[in-house]
Amino acid sequence: MAESCSKAVGNISSMNPPAAEVRNLYKSFGDLSVLKDVSFSLREGEVVSVIGPSGSGKSTLARCICRLEEINSGEIYLYGDRIDNGRHSNRDIAHLVGMIFQQFNLFPHLSVLENLVLSPIRILGLSRKDAEEKGVALLRRVGLEEKRNSRPRELSGGQCQRVAIARALSMNPKIMLFDEPTSALDPELVGEVLDVIADLADSGMTMMIITHEMMFAKEVSNRVLFMDEGKIVEEGTPVEIFSCPRLPRTQLFLQRMLVHFGRELTEADGKEGCDRVP
Amino acid sequence: MSLDFSAVSPYIPMLLAGAKMTIQASVLSVLLGSLLGTFIGALRVVPFAPLRYIAAGYIYIIRGTPLLIQLFLIYFGLPSLGLNLPAFAAGIIGLSINSSGYVGEIVRGGIEAVPKGQWEASKVLGLSYVKTMRFIILPQAIRNMLPAIGNEFVTLIKESSLLSTLAITELTMVGQQVRSVTYASFETFILVGIVYLIMTSSTSFLLQYVENKWKVA
Ligand SMILES: Nc1ncnc2c1ncn2[C@@H]1O[C@H](COP(=O)(O)OP(=O)(O)OP(=O)(O)O)[C@@H](O)[C@H]1O
Ligand SMILES: [Mg+2]
Repeated sequence: MAESCSKAVGNISSMNPPAAEVRNLYKSFGDLSVLKDVSFSLREGEVVSVIGPSGSGKSTLARCICRLEEINSGEIYLYGDRIDNGRHSNRDIAHLVGMIFQQFNLFPHLSVLENLVLSPIRILGLSRKDAEEKGVALLRRVGLEEKRNSRPRELSGGQCQRVAIARALSMNPKIMLFDEPTSALDPELVGEVLDVIADLADSGMTMMIITHEMMFAKEVSNRVLFMDEGKIVEEGTPVEIFSCPRLPRTQLFLQRMLVHFGRELTEADGKEGCDRVP
Repeated sequence: MSLDFSAVSPYIPMLLAGAKMTIQASVLSVLLGSLLGTFIGALRVVPFAPLRYIAAGYIYIIRGTPLLIQLFLIYFGLPSLGLNLPAFAAGIIGLSINSSGYVGEIVRGGIEAVPKGQWEASKVLGLSYVKTMRFIILPQAIRNMLPAIGNEFVTLIKESSLLSTLAITELTMVGQQVRSVTYASFETFILVGIVYLIMTSSTSFLLQYVENKWKVA
């Protein structure tokens, strides 16, 4: 994963529109103002991590981009195409952006492979045979080929999330959004999912990753956004954000995360220590 | 007093033929009623208020009026609009419409029990509202609803006795015919009751079996 740190995103012609661009986005739920004038863009091939305290609006931002939420004002462009005016079908959006949820949201009544072929058959119009070939290839890519006939409830959380990633890829989206993909997982299952995401990043996929895994964000992303109270308050390279954050609230947030992270580590060590002593 | 079934026993084949008619009417009505009810239940949750209100009004009227009146409206009322339906057709339509009101509410509950994340995952995979409903939501909702639909079927078997008022020769009607020739009212209706009991309990048993199998699958 070390290479991905230094992955270059230069030499992209400035003629091309960004993969995603959000301008002056406002979003509220009733009286609760959740996003307040958010603007940012995601260049093709770029991996951007979004960090920030709970309730800062990270999920809402991702959900607006894949049109799971209506916005109050502002503009959202995907590859130069404005998508917040309700003129695009779900199919149009799915060609552009895939989304990974914290809770996986696999379809429990379908087998793993059925989860993967549904959209290619119904939306892309592939034959069942082609869709299954493609589905199996995607499962192989996430290391779960042998689970093709299992039901989601027979899988571990980590396996579920890997299937969910394969399923999202089955629509060939140009951008992938990850909303805390490992937050619902037992600690020992986090690694396998992060590996899949890192592979995807290395393959050049344009991605936005909302995460509390600071080490991962640092390694995998080209740029980090720090959100607080509905705004992007600081952004920069991983080194800038993690090693020398400018704003006191970024520093405070990172300090808290590290303290938390540190404590978890110590606890894990402690437990392991106990195990070794009969 | 003493019960004497000997007068009634020659008519048992007739009663069984009536039971067959009851089963036919109930099965047909539960199928049509479930189809219509699934549609009504789906309308209850569409993101378009006028359709939701229409479906809600339909359910409100169906559940708020007696089945007998619904049957009379269709069989005796519709001819004044020039629509003469044969008794059996009128009966099936009446039972189906009645059942659809109850199934509609069951379906709505089943749909609402499917987690929101299923809708969202389906949407970001590009499926339209209708495709999401058809491939993702309803298959899960129907599984959750199976016990309630089973109860509805059992209810329908019993309520189909009202078809006797349209002179359809289902079990209750046959019972009345047998009584009128044998005068053994008590014995006849005890037998009729037992046949209903057998039909309802074996239906419940069968449904329980299907449900268990479905759960494992
Ligand atoms: N559908 C909704 N209805 C009402 N309020 C909502 C809804 N979705 C989110 N919110 C509120 O919007 C705010 C931002 O939520 P959001 O989920 O975007 O935060 P987040 O940064 O992703 O937090 P977390 O790290 O806990 O996931 C929160 O206060 C949340 O309670
Ligand atoms: Mg969130």
